[in-house]
Amino acid sequence: MKILKQYSIIVLFVTALVVTSCELDGGESLNGASTSSISDDLSRGELTQALSGVLSDMRVGLATHTDVQSIFGREYYYFTSSDPRFEGDVVVGNLDNNTFYTTTPWSARYATIKDINLILEGLANTTADFSAEEISATKGVLNTLKAHELLMLSDNQNDNGIRVDVADPENLGEFLNRSAALTAISEILATAATDLAAGGTELPFNLTSGYDGFDTPADFLKFNKGLHARVEMYRGNSAAVLTLLEDSFLELSTTSINNGIYHTFSLSGADLSNPLFIAPNQEANVRVAHSSFVADAESGDNRLNKVLLRTTPRQASGLVGAYDVAIYGSNTDDVPVMRNEELILLYAEANITTSPSTAVSAINIIRSAAGLLPYVGATTPEALTNEILKQRRYSLFGEAHRWVDMRRFGRLSELPNDRATDNVPSAVPVPANEN
Amino acid sequence: MKHNLIKRSVFLIFMTMPFVLLAQSVVKGTIEDASYGGPVAGANVIIKGTTVGAISDFDGNYEITVDSFPATLIFSSLGYGTKEVQVTSAGTINVSLAEAATGLDEIVVSGLATSIKRTNLANAVATVSATELAGTTPPKTLDGALAGKFTGAIVSANSGAPGGGMSIKFRGVTSINGNSQPLYIIDGVYLDNSSISSGGLNAVSQASGGGNASSQDNATNRIADINPDDIQTIEILKGASAAAIYGSRGAAGVVIITTKKGKSGKTKVNFSQGFGFNEAIRLQGQRDWTAALAESQYGEGALYTAAEAAGTLRDYEKEIFGEKGLISNTSISASGGSDKTTFFTGFSRNDEDGIVKNTGYKKSSFRLNVDHRFTENVKLALNTNYITSNADRGFFNNDNTGTTLGVALTATRPWDFLLPDANGNYPDHPNNSSNPLQTRDLMKNNERVNRFIVGGSLDINVYRNENSSLKLVSKAGIDTYTLAATVIFPKELQFQRPDQGGLNGVSAVSTTTNKNANYSTFLVHDWNLENDLSFNTQLGATNEQFSRNIVRVVATDLIASETNVDQGANQTVTQDRLEQEDFGFFVQESINYQDKLIGTIGLRGDKSTNNGDVNKLFYYPKASLAVNLNNFDFWNEDSFLSRLKLRAAYGEAGTFAVFGSLYTIYASTLIDSNVGIAVPLTRGNPNILPERQKELELGFDLGLIENRLSLEFTMYKKNVDDLLLLANTQPSSGFSTKWENAGELENKGVEIALNASIVQNDDFDWNAGLNWWKNKSEMVRMDVPAYNTGGFGTSLGTFRIEEGKSVTQIVGNNVDGDLVQLGNAEPDFQMSLSNNLNYKDFSLSFLWHWKKGGDNVNLTKLLSDFGGTSADYDDFTVDPNGQIKNGDYRINNGIFAGNATPFVEDASYLRLREIGLYYSVPSSTLNQWFGEAISNVKIGFSGNNLINIFDYNSYDPEVSNFGGNGLSTGVEVTPFPSSKRYMFHLSAQF
Repeated sequence: MKILKQYSIIVLFVTALVVTSCELDGGESLNGASTSSISDDLSRGELTQALSGVLSDMRVGLATHTDVQSIFGREYYYFTSSDPRFEGDVVVGNLDNNTFYTTTPWSARYATIKDINLILEGLANTTADFSAEEISATKGVLNTLKAHELLMLSDNQNDNGIRVDVADPENLGEFLNRSAALTAISEILATAATDLAAGGTELPFNLTSGYDGFDTPADFLKFNKGLHARVEMYRGNSAAVLTLLEDSFLELSTTSINNGIYHTFSLSGADLSNPLFIAPNQEANVRVAHSSFVADAESGDNRLNKVLLRTTPRQASGLVGAYDVAIYGSNTDDVPVMRNEELILLYAEANITTSPSTAVSAINIIRSAAGLLPYVGATTPEALTNEILKQRRYSLFGEAHRWVDMRRFGRLSELPNDRATDNVPSAVPVPANEN
Repeated sequence: MKHNLIKRSVFLIFMTMPFVLLAQSVVKGTIEDASYGGPVAGANVIIKGTTVGAISDFDGNYEITVDSFPATLIFSSLGYGTKEVQVTSAGTINVSLAEAATGLDEIVVSGLATSIKRTNLANAVATVSATELAGTTPPKTLDGALAGKFTGAIVSANSGAPGGGMSIKFRGVTSINGNSQPLYIIDGVYLDNSSISSGGLNAVSQASGGGNASSQDNATNRIADINPDDIQTIEILKGASAAAIYGSRGAAGVVIITTKKGKSGKTKVNFSQGFGFNEAIRLQGQRDWTAALAESQYGEGALYTAAEAAGTLRDYEKEIFGEKGLISNTSISASGGSDKTTFFTGFSRNDEDGIVKNTGYKKSSFRLNVDHRFTENVKLALNTNYITSNADRGFFNNDNTGTTLGVALTATRPWDFLLPDANGNYPDHPNNSSNPLQTRDLMKNNERVNRFIVGGSLDINVYRNENSSLKLVSKAGIDTYTLAATVIFPKELQFQRPDQGGLNGVSAVSTTTNKNANYSTFLVHDWNLENDLSFNTQLGATNEQFSRNIVRVVATDLIASETNVDQGANQTVTQDRLEQEDFGFFVQESINYQDKLIGTIGLRGDKSTNNGDVNKLFYYPKASLAVNLNNFDFWNEDSFLSRLKLRAAYGEAGTFAVFGSLYTIYASTLIDSNVGIAVPLTRGNPNILPERQKELELGFDLGLIENRLSLEFTMYKKNVDDLLLLANTQPSSGFSTKWENAGELENKGVEIALNASIVQNDDFDWNAGLNWWKNKSEMVRMDVPAYNTGGFGTSLGTFRIEEGKSVTQIVGNNVDGDLVQLGNAEPDFQMSLSNNLNYKDFSLSFLWHWKKGGDNVNLTKLLSDFGGTSADYDDFTVDPNGQIKNGDYRINNGIFAGNATPFVEDASYLRLREIGLYYSVPSSTLNQWFGEAISNVKIGFSGNNLINIFDYNSYDPEVSNFGGNGLSTGVEVTPFPSSKRYMFHLSAQF
């Protein structure tokens, strides 16, 4: 037996090395902040960033949301060579509960709501030196934005319902149908209004330039009221609408119809570009106005500048469009969240029965801004409703209103179907993964 | 019994003592390689039935003391067949060992530091030799060369793009959302096999913006960097029963690659050169256009007539995919050495153009393997490899913008005029957002890699005597590379112009630095008892470290024609890091009783920073037994049945959770110059565990007629529990998916390998191998609701993970709008037939591969239907009633009717994967011409995929839009078509 002593030393050395090196240090989430860093304790610096996350996420899925509603409302068609379902399922009304046109708008809105809920949780747990006013103002802003997101969801889902209480992922709240959802949203907005009113004079974070003029608690409250007016109009509470509009940013003027709150876009870094912009006369991807949009317009309506005659019509699977949708002029244009033009129309609508003449004068502000002569038709509720729906169709073209409007007046069957297979659905199905 | 044993031992010792003293005699000689006559260093010589052994030195010399004559000496060495020689007296016995041909007698690396004779192995370990790997025809990539060469694997190309992109799965899908690709180890170094997508492609294609979040740009997987010419053997551990010693990284199987080593003696130089070309396997062809059809489809009958008159009707598919790509492979290697130091060095240069202009793959690889023996007992091996590769991969697969070449082609009609003018100005595509000729000529999608792979091992014989020895083996390995990917879309491109809504030029640089380091130390103890029992004990510890950093910069709105990423108005930067460290130990005990019964038990323990509790050890046990019935006394030596082994093996292995799945990590975003944080799609799970695979393998090996016919039959059942699922959550929670250990899947299968030496005589020999294998998977338990994954939704066909169903089922809506199973990606079975014929100086080899069954989701046809360009648009083969044209049916009765049936297609194929015909110039002729200067001159022709038979209605049934991982095989959206290759070869030895 031959023992090589020097190698025993190596063995000992190696063994020692192995034994000492086997303790591992903890792993890290290398590629970003963990969500618990916000919800466990929110710092002042993190608040602006988390809020920017909310404002940024509000834009995610916006194109799908708008396209789907605009196709349902027969405002325009979206033809894309890469996904035929925009000219198939969505126009036919045969909606899959597990395909992007159903799931993307739903998931994107709830992701934004999650962003908001994490900040609300963080505000409750914060050890930073926020004043009571700052906390109140922040909650007011966050809950107003949450109400906006919930309303978008409810608009899509109608009586299929949405969940409102989603703070705990393991214990999600029940589904609320359209009317229950609107009630809940209305309550959230009312609470948010109280918080904003108690919010002092400054917001402890930056909003984007899309909120210029709405960047103090008092001014943001005007947006809250405007949004609340929309909700109450959907609920049929005309009186409440008029009260809310008084405190909103409503201005009965032809020059200020575009005042309001906007999503902003840019091409820099991780920012998003305007997903609703497509250059004119494209072939592969086009949004083409429904032929009735031009055909039904009064002559001289300058809102027809929202569409542009194509050099050649684009057709797809039996659908055809001669006009490109041209609401946006570049891929960095702002997209409205809510504009004064809608508030004027809400004001008109809320006055139909109580004060038809007020309704008409409001309608005429819109008509005048559109380059049209004043309204000369009947002032019966029915005639005024028709007129307001028409003005809403042209004023809010491509802003996801038409389908919701036609539905709340029970007129979906009046929307045109260009092919025998086509149908306008009344709601988007609940995504398959909800149970 | 014990009492008897001791008695017997004592008696034996007593009885043999006089012989030990009196009859000891020395047998010595040289062991050489039968094929080229060089010495075989490090070969084992053992006296049969005893434990007395010796090892040959670097000149192949051995010397062994034999106690009693007659005795049988057994000679063996890694990669060679075993030889038994009867000796009757002391003296010189020279032996030549042949390279293991049938694989029956070779030595197999089965442990982390040990090897075992194949006849004693309890698992069906597949081996691919250098000859099988690259001997017939040079493979495009190493992984591609494995297809059809052994049982139990699905080897599938994701696309035909130069530089590869392969997926390999052993014994079915082993993980749905975790890693399902095997672990590659080359000379002890853990190789990185990532596919890293390049920034900038998705900015243009926006593929991830639609129904599937994958960027779908099919990056190369990095195993493509390894040069097949350097490889001596590849061993494949297909599942946990064989790979348990690899613990948490072994579940998807292990591919163990051993590179060539030098042999002492005269320095030999080998040179080989191959030339050839490739071309598309199958083009789709054109619709039968006429002016009338152009009018009815597009209202462009007049344009058609005008183009026809001007002679400018063009087949754009041929224009783009019709090129013949040139191939040139040059390889020079040298090996030799002294008795202390041996070396193998090789340089190779591969240059292959794609079938699309401006695509291609170039690779240079330099290798130096040095073995040095400090003393009789200390040996150092150092393997180094430097690789530089350069791939131009073009722009393919799915998009949402009509910009990839494939999608653009679907909208291109023969009368569209897309050619540039004399100044290189391209016209806009009249029917699409991009002009594919312009995109092909001006865009760039390049990956450059610089990679070092260095592995070293130190073997020390700490102690040795006649019946026991202790060896210390220390290994270290590093695989480090830098991948620089450049993507450029110049502003001249139709879809880049701002008036077309373009970004005015995109330039992207993605830099990846990756480092894998692994260290291990083992003690191996051999102990042979006089009663013919031998024990092999090994114990060791391993440490693996993985570090990766990817930085992607995408610049848009470029200044002039500049492409530096600072020369643009907007930059987007993303960074992705990975740091992981694993620590493991293992112990294994093998007991061999006279080569009759061979039993092994082992245990691996693993911990990792990737687990929720970093210092918790996960244990993976194994046990196996092989019974060589033919070695028992009752066996009739003259039997028709020359060999029969029964074997059983059980083992467990794991798969780590994907890095970062412990955490819910905010995504960063930007709005109005304010940085923002936004919740991600996926909710992390701090309690996530590795998957655990438990595999039981049973089988038998038969040898008939002196082993000229051999059969290996294996059945296995493997269950993967704690399955890592990126399960759907209720999206109202704010998250779409969540990591969960939430299910169990099962794979059962049968593998049969039949090898025959059909003819064996001086002038002619013929060997054939027939492999047949099948796998059946089932999701046996699911703790989360069924969900769809890896496709584009139920109206187009998608995979669906559902309890009680096959894991690879493809579901979709049928004609009635009901969600039903429409297909299954899993083949019914696969079969391959290899033949090797040698007649005098000619040799012919070929390999057929038949995949029966297995379905794909083919969306290329649907996109060309929308473009009105499908070659089969006007046929009537898709409508079950034969009434409606294919194109119309797929559109109106397919997608618009919510019916996915037309898109799920059978993807069976039969292909002649390899064929080679070679002529070896006889040495007499060579001597006449060149004297002794040149030997072994071989010339020949070879081809890949020369014959392809399939009904699948596209370029190739082997395709994957989503790359290689998980379930995502077989979904096709306008890929880079695959190609066949024709080659001419010349090789010589100096």
